Amino acid sequence: MNLFPQRNKYLENWRFLVLYILIALIFGFFLFRLFDIQILQGEDFIAQADANRTTTIYDYSVRGTIYDRNGYVLAQNVPSYDVVVIPAYLPDDEGDIQRIFRELSELIDIPITTGGADEDVVRSFTPCYNDLGISEIVYIATTNWPYQATGVQCDVSKEVAMTVMEKAADWPGIEIEITPVRQYPTGSLTAEIIGFLGPIPAALEDYYVEQGFVLNRDKVGYAGVEQSLNDILSGKNGTRTIEVNVSGEEIRNLEEPIDPIPGNDVYLTIDTRLQSIAQEALLAQMDEYNFYKGYTTVNSGVVIAMIPKTGEVLALVSIPTYENNRMEKYIPGYYYEQLAADPQRPLFNQAISSELPPGSVYKMAPALGILNEGVVTPEYEINDPGLITILEKYYENDPGTPRQYVCWDRNGHGMVNFMWGVAWSCDVYWYKVGGGYEDEVPGNGLGIWRMGEYARAIGYGITTGIELPGEADGLIPDPTWKRTTLGENWSIGDTYIATMGQGYVLATPLQVVNSIATIANGGKLMNITLVNRVTEPDGTIIQELEPSWKWDITTDPVINVYEGNQATGELKTVEPWVIELANEAMRLVVTDGTAETEFAGDPYNSAGKTGTAEYCDDVAQEKDICKSGLWPAHAWYVGYAPWDNPEIAVVAFVYNGDEGSTIAGPIVRKVIDAYFEMKAADTANTP
Amino acid sequence: MNRKFRDAWQNFDFWLFGAVLILSIIGITLIRSSIAGNLDLEEHPRRQTIFLGLSLVVMFVVAALDYKYWITLVQPLYLVVMVFLLFVFTAEARFGSVRWLEVGSILIQPAELAKISIILSLANFFANNYKDAGKPSTIFRSAVLVGGLVLWIFLQPNLSTTIVILVIWGAFLWITGIRIKFILIAVAIILLVLLIGLLTGFSFLADYQKDRITNFLFPDPEASYGETWNVDQALITVGTGGWFGQGYMQSTQVQLRFLKVRHTDFIFSVLSAEFGFAGASLVIALLVLVVIRCIRIAQRANDLFGALIAYGFGVLIFFQTAVNIGVNLKVLPVTGLTLPFVSYGGSSLLSLMLGIGMVESVAMRSPSKHALSEQNATGN
Repeated sequence: MNLFPQRNKYLENWRFLVLYILIALIFGFFLFRLFDIQILQGEDFIAQADANRTTTIYDYSVRGTIYDRNGYVLAQNVPSYDVVVIPAYLPDDEGDIQRIFRELSELIDIPITTGGADEDVVRSFTPCYNDLGISEIVYIATTNWPYQATGVQCDVSKEVAMTVMEKAADWPGIEIEITPVRQYPTGSLTAEIIGFLGPIPAALEDYYVEQGFVLNRDKVGYAGVEQSLNDILSGKNGTRTIEVNVSGEEIRNLEEPIDPIPGNDVYLTIDTRLQSIAQEALLAQMDEYNFYKGYTTVNSGVVIAMIPKTGEVLALVSIPTYENNRMEKYIPGYYYEQLAADPQRPLFNQAISSELPPGSVYKMAPALGILNEGVVTPEYEINDPGLITILEKYYENDPGTPRQYVCWDRNGHGMVNFMWGVAWSCDVYWYKVGGGYEDEVPGNGLGIWRMGEYARAIGYGITTGIELPGEADGLIPDPTWKRTTLGENWSIGDTYIATMGQGYVLATPLQVVNSIATIANGGKLMNITLVNRVTEPDGTIIQELEPSWKWDITTDPVINVYEGNQATGELKTVEPWVIELANEAMRLVVTDGTAETEFAGDPYNSAGKTGTAEYCDDVAQEKDICKSGLWPAHAWYVGYAPWDNPEIAVVAFVYNGDEGSTIAGPIVRKVIDAYFEMKAADTANTP
Repeated sequence: MNRKFRDAWQNFDFWLFGAVLILSIIGITLIRSSIAGNLDLEEHPRRQTIFLGLSLVVMFVVAALDYKYWITLVQPLYLVVMVFLLFVFTAEARFGSVRWLEVGSILIQPAELAKISIILSLANFFANNYKDAGKPSTIFRSAVLVGGLVLWIFLQPNLSTTIVILVIWGAFLWITGIRIKFILIAVAIILLVLLIGLLTGFSFLADYQKDRITNFLFPDPEASYGETWNVDQALITVGTGGWFGQGYMQSTQVQLRFLKVRHTDFIFSVLSAEFGFAGASLVIALLVLVVIRCIRIAQRANDLFGALIAYGFGVLIFFQTAVNIGVNLKVLPVTGLTLPFVSYGGSSLLSLMLGIGMVESVAMRSPSKHALSEQNATGN
């Protein structure tokens, strides 16, 4: 006991010593722990504390308005009135709160309570789009962000909004928040051009967040120019880095706030009046044809009107389409599913995304080719007996199988030169000049390789560059393509079929109208555009349409010179007289050719080309009509006017429309007529 | 008598009193900072100041009285406290959880009184049974004494006070010479209880108590509010302090109210954030000083009753301090124990000051240093 000198005669000192040691150990450990937390890990905790109190707020930028070329509104922002609650501002008295809930419940028809919310409900809470009662919404908001506005019901009527605003004094904590929503006044008339908005897709989250977009709040374009011109229209959210307290109450700006930059307004090249006429012409024609047939045989088609000299699109109709104004506030699931499941694919813009056999309209490509390459002279006459037979050979020493090729007119057209070849769309003429025939057109005629060169020169096989998402580029087939894709050699018959735009040839309606517009325009392949001008919100023009072209085939050498099947590497142009003659021939189509009846008495001197493209799709396959004589066909017609100084070019396409001239022709004529009538009216109205 | 009284004041422990006073003033300062714009807390510094004044008066009065007078009060006090506790326990059945009794305009927490009563009762008990200290029968009788009060506290349920009282009992057993053998037996019993608890899923604990323990042992990483959130925010708050703190009323964690219950349970976090490692160390040092002075007074006390009073309060302050700081530093689960003298709470401050008064009374009536050395030379 001498080790611990005894101070107290009753209590043992060593027991005190143990206590002292315990005190020293515990507080020593606390000091060490304090040092660890404050000094060693201090920076981490300071960072966490800063993260607690710092919040970045992204203030709305206003999305730009979309107008047509005449300033008619196609997409705009309208206020949506949302009833919101800010729990921190609710009265203290529970009775007052219950009174407010009761009165609000009556007004907006949401139950006062649905019997409490469990953890899962709290976690998956979405303001406005839930089945909760007011009490539950307020409870969740109170727990999470008492100083922030939480939506109770979104997009209430203006009357309800007014009532809530008038009650502001009686209902502290209940407010109306005005948020912009997109509205499409023209709805389905322009849906395929305008598109619609939707929430930021998961795959692009990183990209948009980096640009200052806010997930689950900001919307981005999902289709049409809303998607393709999103960067121009969306503007940039403002950013404010603020200090908040634990309730989310804003204390002060930590950095100089950046104001939101509103999106720019876009004036499209579309003329809504013409768009409307084109849509109605197409729908009326389809109705009439279905009525004539006695059952619904056509329900899908395209009309595009453009200005050949500038590449501006005046109207672009794709039927069936959809109501984009049903997607104004949010995309309703049932409607979207209905659209997605529709076999006619209304969300699919056929004008630019459908790859179809262009039919006889395609003949204008070999037409340029045979004259420019000197395969035949314009005057050279070729016999059309209505049916020819050739030996189909697939390899060098193939003895060949005889196969028959017919003209659409089984009686034949007799002796046909270039002009009548186009005007009558005489298939046998084109077979012979395209692929060669015995002594009449020695060798292989124009041949598939050179035909492809001229098709590409007038825009087939390449995208037009129109400002719409999902443009397809079509297909110009050649022997290499066939070998790699189908594992088969090219035959003369393939060339024959290709000359009339069938078989493997595919093109979008936009490419088809663009190809004819290029010829009408004297050989200039214009860059197709939908954007007339872009202005800042105050009207300052920041971008204006400058017509541009990919190339002018009469001056830019874009045609590869071939020797046999081999490109020599040399390039050449197309002689201007060839193009002039092609235009004259298309004029002959209207005056004395395949579209003579439909364009009788045409006052606007139009020219054009008919097309009837046989096809085989799943529906036809099922009906077992994909055989000679029974083939279903698409109706095509491209027209432009006036033929020698074109102001407008129009294509009409009717899926399964059978006869180009009779079904598609009248649609084009209506649009061309309307265009000139409108022009006359506009001129008369302009002082 | 006059001379004796004057001599007694020469033995008044000014270190102890000074430390306690400084801690209380620091406490009021920190309570002012922890208002942080909350209107409900605005009156707290003033009320704590009033309580401090009242407590100081009580302390001096109690110090002036000879602690031996308390011997006569031990049993009445024990009974009064038991009545209070029974009242609270039955009131709870009618009104839900009530831990407070309103007497006049002052709220009294019977649990605080119970701590004082237990210390006095145990000190008296062991002083009277000194010769039988360490015997099983003595341990058993002391257990009955403790059990008479702690049962009602446990049933309230008020787990933290129960633990405090049991720790005090244990500390008394320890210092009065319990054999190591019995300690081992006690440890075995505790382990057995824990085992039974595990098997029964701790059905005797209230849900919020179970939550606190599970939250401490297995924090839910996704929790954004509730218990875990508070503790995590406390740790962040402490962490922002650095060497010298962010400055008085400058901690964003405190002033923007990310730290909850900051004027009571987590006042140590406020201190650490605004005055840093230096300030926190100083307060820890002051509290350690208080504890050590109490224990030293116990060692020097004139008789066993006085020694055990001083020892008992020393242990009480030590345990509450250790647990509270442990919670703030996230090494212990949340208990609800406040930091002695510093945390807001009039009742707690008053009872602690009453205790300090008793300890001072013991100190004042101890033999002087001179006398003590004489005693050592002659005695033993």
